[in-house]
Amino acid sequence: MFHDLLQWLQDVPGATGGDPSTSWSQQFAGSLHLWALTEGTHVLSLMLFAGTILVVDLRMLGVVFKDVPYSTLNNKVLPLTIGGFVLLTLTGLLLFFSNPVHYYHSVFFRAKILFLLLAAVNIFWFHFRVQKHLSEWDNQPSPPITVRLAAIVSLASWLLVIVFGRVTALSFFECESMKPTTFGYAFAECASLMRPAKEAAEGATTSSAAEGEPKQ
Amino acid sequence: MTLDFATLLPEIKPWVKGLTALWPVPLIKSSSWAFPLILCSHLVALTMLGGAILLPSLRLMGVGMTREAPAAIEKTMRPWLVIALVVLAVTGVLMGMVNPMKLYARPAFLVKAIALAAALLFSFGVVRSIAAHDGVVTRPAKILAAIGLAGWLAAVLIFGASFGAAPGMFHVISVGWLIVMAFGSRLTRIVLGAITAMTVAGVGIVTYVVYNPFDNYNIVMEINRWTLRCAAVVVAGFILWEFTRARPSEVAAPPLNRLVGVVSILAWFTVAAAGRWIGLGTSG
Repeated sequence: MFHDLLQWLQDVPGATGGDPSTSWSQQFAGSLHLWALTEGTHVLSLMLFAGTILVVDLRMLGVVFKDVPYSTLNNKVLPLTIGGFVLLTLTGLLLFFSNPVHYYHSVFFRAKILFLLLAAVNIFWFHFRVQKHLSEWDNQPSPPITVRLAAIVSLASWLLVIVFGRVTALSFFECESMKPTTFGYAFAECASLMRPAKEAAEGATTSSAAEGEPKQ
Repeated sequence: MTLDFATLLPEIKPWVKGLTALWPVPLIKSSSWAFPLILCSHLVALTMLGGAILLPSLRLMGVGMTREAPAAIEKTMRPWLVIALVVLAVTGVLMGMVNPMKLYARPAFLVKAIALAAALLFSFGVVRSIAAHDGVVTRPAKILAAIGLAGWLAAVLIFGASFGAAPGMFHVISVGWLIVMAFGSRLTRIVLGAITAMTVAGVGIVTYVVYNPFDNYNIVMEINRWTLRCAAVVVAGFILWEFTRARPSEVAAPPLNRLVGVVSILAWFTVAAAGRWIGLGTSG
């Protein structure tokens, strides 16, 4: 869907003389330390973001700080979580920008985004539905089932976001190594990524046949 | 400067090399999902560690859940700290056994090992003791804090001085900067913010307008190195200025407690940052 737009983003902005390797995206990806520092910041910010989410979710599950009102804990911890979220989003967008076509066609990256959306939906559901009745359960050592459910969905979805994010960096199930009939191939829209390679291969065969000489 | 286990302990090289033959490395290598699972568990446990050390340390600094006693927070988070550390240790050892020669030659791994010792000393020797004694820093806690501080400083010096790991110090300096900007006084924030803005603008102009980084690689790298060193000194100065004074407006958080809180966060973060730079950095 966005393949062509992202290919443009990767190759064109900042490029001099039509050379894609000089675009901002590819210069950033090929930088000596800047990319590594961005990636390091992304990973390390998780300690702040997911670490603080864990504490609040455990309170919602009635596991830790049972004698502290939920709102007291949340008011103190939420600013830290938001700080972590800002760092993660900024560095995450930059990392995506460094290799947009690859991430767009990555099975794991897509799975990560799906669970990120699930986590977001859960936050809104919790914020507008469950937190409406906050005063009823704020002081309860073990909050009602809806609150605990929101905490479980939150923990599970963030866990999967982290796990899929981690395996995105590994070379598993890439379009080049998947069979066109598999779910992963369709899920990652590999057809649009593999099209140029396929056409080049076919084009090379036809032209070499026509001109009668091998072409590279 | 090159300081790593390979230079310090050259005689253990055969043993390090032989680690890949030990159980369960062949098992891990023969499976396609075992190693990714180990990597993921290590990262998930790292995030758990983040929450488990942040709350008790911040409480010692006099911020965060100030209505609770430090002892209550430390005790609540301790099981999670222990679980996180056990998972990190098991998965970390397995990751090391799969790639032992890499760790052996990486300065970042030496940094991580030293910082880990210092951080453990802080969490289980100092923070726990201060919390248990209701904010009072006992004599043994002071001695342990001094040893931990010396260890952490040694780790940071090796981090910054090692060619293949030095850029990773950016993360440690950034966290010190964030702590000052988030919890420092208003004046401190304005001054440090202004210094930061001027530095970023200055280095940006010198790097991209005066020099072209592609043509003057060595000069630009030297500028980056000195900027990082100066930033480390400036941030350290602000931390000392900000966290070695008692703040009358907040809950009882004596200067020493505040400093212990900051260094404990920084020490654990150094472990994590050095860990990441085992992969991102190089040998030598």
